[in-house]
Amino acid sequence: MSGTQAAPHSLAFRVMRLCKPTFHVETPLRFDPFDLLTGEDLLNDPVAAQHLPRLLGSQSINSKSTESDLTYRSRFLLQDPYDAVGLSGLLVLPQSFGAIYLGETFCSYVSINNSSNFEARDIVIKAEIQTERQRILLLDTSKTPVESIRAGGRYDFIVEHDVKELGPHTLVCTALYSDADVERKYLPQFFKFIVANPLSVRTKVRVVKETTFLEACLENHTKSNLYMDQVEFEPAQHWSATLLKADDHHSGNDALTREIFKTPPILIRSGGGIHNYLYQLKTSALESAQMKVEGSNILGKLQITWRTNLGEPGRLQTQQILGSPITRKEIELQAVEVPSVIILEKPFTVHLNLTNQTDRMLGPFEVWLSQSDSHDEKVVMVNGLQTIVLPHVEAFSSTDFQLNFIAMKLGVQKISGITVFDTKEKKIHDPLPDLEVCYLYLGGLVSTLNIFVDSD
Amino acid sequence: MDAPNALEHHPHAPPPTDPDPPGPPSPPPTAAATATDPLNNPYASLNDLSHELSSLQELATRGSWRSILDKVARARTNHLLTKPHEHLTYLSFHLIALTKLRRFADAVAELDSLDSDLDSSNYHYQSYPHHYPNITGSMVPFVLRWLHAELPAKLGNRQETLDRFYTLLHFVRSKLSDSSNLSHFCVELWKKREVFVINTIISHHLSHKEFVICLALIKDLIGKSEGSSSEDKAALLSKLGYVQMQFGDLEGAKATFSAIEGLVSEGKGGVEMENLVSRNKALLYIVGRDYVSAVREYDVCIERDGGDAVAINNKALCLMYLRDLSDSIKVLENALERVPTATLNETIVVNLCSMYELAYVNHSDIKRTLSNWISRVAPDDFDASSTRI
Repeated sequence: MSGTQAAPHSLAFRVMRLCKPTFHVETPLRFDPFDLLTGEDLLNDPVAAQHLPRLLGSQSINSKSTESDLTYRSRFLLQDPYDAVGLSGLLVLPQSFGAIYLGETFCSYVSINNSSNFEARDIVIKAEIQTERQRILLLDTSKTPVESIRAGGRYDFIVEHDVKELGPHTLVCTALYSDADVERKYLPQFFKFIVANPLSVRTKVRVVKETTFLEACLENHTKSNLYMDQVEFEPAQHWSATLLKADDHHSGNDALTREIFKTPPILIRSGGGIHNYLYQLKTSALESAQMKVEGSNILGKLQITWRTNLGEPGRLQTQQILGSPITRKEIELQAVEVPSVIILEKPFTVHLNLTNQTDRMLGPFEVWLSQSDSHDEKVVMVNGLQTIVLPHVEAFSSTDFQLNFIAMKLGVQKISGITVFDTKEKKIHDPLPDLEVCYLYLGGLVSTLNIFVDSD
Repeated sequence: MDAPNALEHHPHAPPPTDPDPPGPPSPPPTAAATATDPLNNPYASLNDLSHELSSLQELATRGSWRSILDKVARARTNHLLTKPHEHLTYLSFHLIALTKLRRFADAVAELDSLDSDLDSSNYHYQSYPHHYPNITGSMVPFVLRWLHAELPAKLGNRQETLDRFYTLLHFVRSKLSDSSNLSHFCVELWKKREVFVINTIISHHLSHKEFVICLALIKDLIGKSEGSSSEDKAALLSKLGYVQMQFGDLEGAKATFSAIEGLVSEGKGGVEMENLVSRNKALLYIVGRDYVSAVREYDVCIERDGGDAVAINNKALCLMYLRDLSDSIKVLENALERVPTATLNETIVVNLCSMYELAYVNHSDIKRTLSNWISRVAPDDFDASSTRI
């Protein structure tokens, strides 16, 4: 009490977080009489084997009825063998507030106690959650105030709130009431907690021929093991998704075990455990290269539902997951044929194909090998005309041409810098700089061409 | 060292062979003598097994562990134990008492002070032929091996305990694989011990939330339980269901509990089994947040067995989730008063004290009242810190 003019409150809020209870687990100190009252091998003796089962059997817990038993034998003797697991099914209330994570439900028991000697009347109770961004009303009895809480009495309620924001939250409980004093009193109480992020999701997208593979790695940042109840990929329009799973090896001996242990549960360990999911995505529409939309490529999102003790659920979904950006290329340049044997300092010819992927005529073109400004020796030199001129190419058609080179260095080499210049539009068609890979003999963008140069 | 005289060095070890033992009035019987003579039963009472064993057992069932410490000390000081195995029996009770009273360092010290390890021939019946004519094998009570494995964890060395339990499991299994010289009853006992050790291992992994390995161990036990009674199978499957629920696999738990109901129709039933099934049903209601139906199931259990502590405790929790804190407190208080020997356990006290802390601004008074009552009624090993005063 600070000694100001404010009179002491008759009422006080008591709050207890009401997440699901847990099972009590404890290795018990309970034994079988045969393991304590005799030597472990005494029953080898035929005399002992004849008499001891009856004698020691009378000591067991089952021989006495529970109602008349006034001993604490159940703290000392095992009733059935599996009592030794120490999991009787007794539930325990949450013993501390614990951690709370985005996607969970905050549930709390709130009790307003009248610890004074006077009745409290006309109590208007409000409970709300305050975050950095908003206030959410959970309970408001303004329209129907609680008539009275007697001296020593209580008024209880339970509030629930789906946690959708990170960071500090405050449960604000207020009561406006009248007691023995003249003026109405106002009691605010604040209970703070912080909401953290339970999971992080890292994705990788790879395209192999017509199929896109999405790998999602889920990491558990919470203090509990998370049972992944459902992790589903919801594909965007025109996409379909299949979860790829490894084969399960069931070593179930009998039907019961096989039935119960059908699918091993996915449990991600607390504090940094991970689990990977692999999805195979296909575009459902009959699309050719022309249909691809320029810009980002939205694949879809992951819906995640996890559970902790006694099935306490949490739910999150990721943001849109993007595939590789697709830029529509107006020109496709491919190596159609490269000689299998290339000899140092001897000329060789590479057959190339230029495809116009637009719906208008393009060209004419000039093609040359741009010189790198690095200090490295040139790998190849163009043999003959340094610039090749190509005529127009119609919409959606292609033209073949050749480039003649002389190899300057031995071994596996890259030819880079083949440049195509549109003389009409005055535009250099530069293949994407970040594509390093080049498939020999296959299509695909070529700014680098891998060849093997041998000596004589 | 194989000579029995090696035992002299240990104060609590069996004494060297005494040519004129003051032991029981009749000489150790032979198989031939008793097989046809029902009046000469050498094991008519517990006291025939060990000196004043009835009294020790009685004290243990009443939870009077401090009295057991006194009794053991007196027997040792006054040299009341005459046969080698009696020292081991008294040692076992002594260690259990120390462990129950949470005097773990004392228990470890006593166990460590044994001169020989538990496999020594000093603890073989055949090393003392005039005490135990025609009896061979180990006189070590199995709990000594179990305690030897359990105690390091109590002092914080969990890894050592796990290692020792897995070693103990290996020991039990090698006894079973080489069982040609064991009687049928002995083999059954060793199989029970195998299950006992696996159960203890499961409880350790469970305490550390290592659920995947618990599932694997339980699956192993299910495979071994082919010949068990329906009641035992149901108990085991219930543990599986609880583990599944504990980490959140609700579908798995439902499937497991259905399998149990299938067993019940096979078995004879009985109150124990019926209550187990009802309590499992109640748990499914709880996870589905249908607390009203859960309370109803628990009431049926309590009707059948007024001392069903799990049903009483869990019913009280359901009442709390139904916003009825007052009644949840009443349920627990009434049960403690009515059937204390069934319901006075640390978990119920922890739950009741959590409820008091929520219900009363000044909860120390009511907790102190509870604490005083507990100190009058509870067994010696009751952990008073559960009231959190």
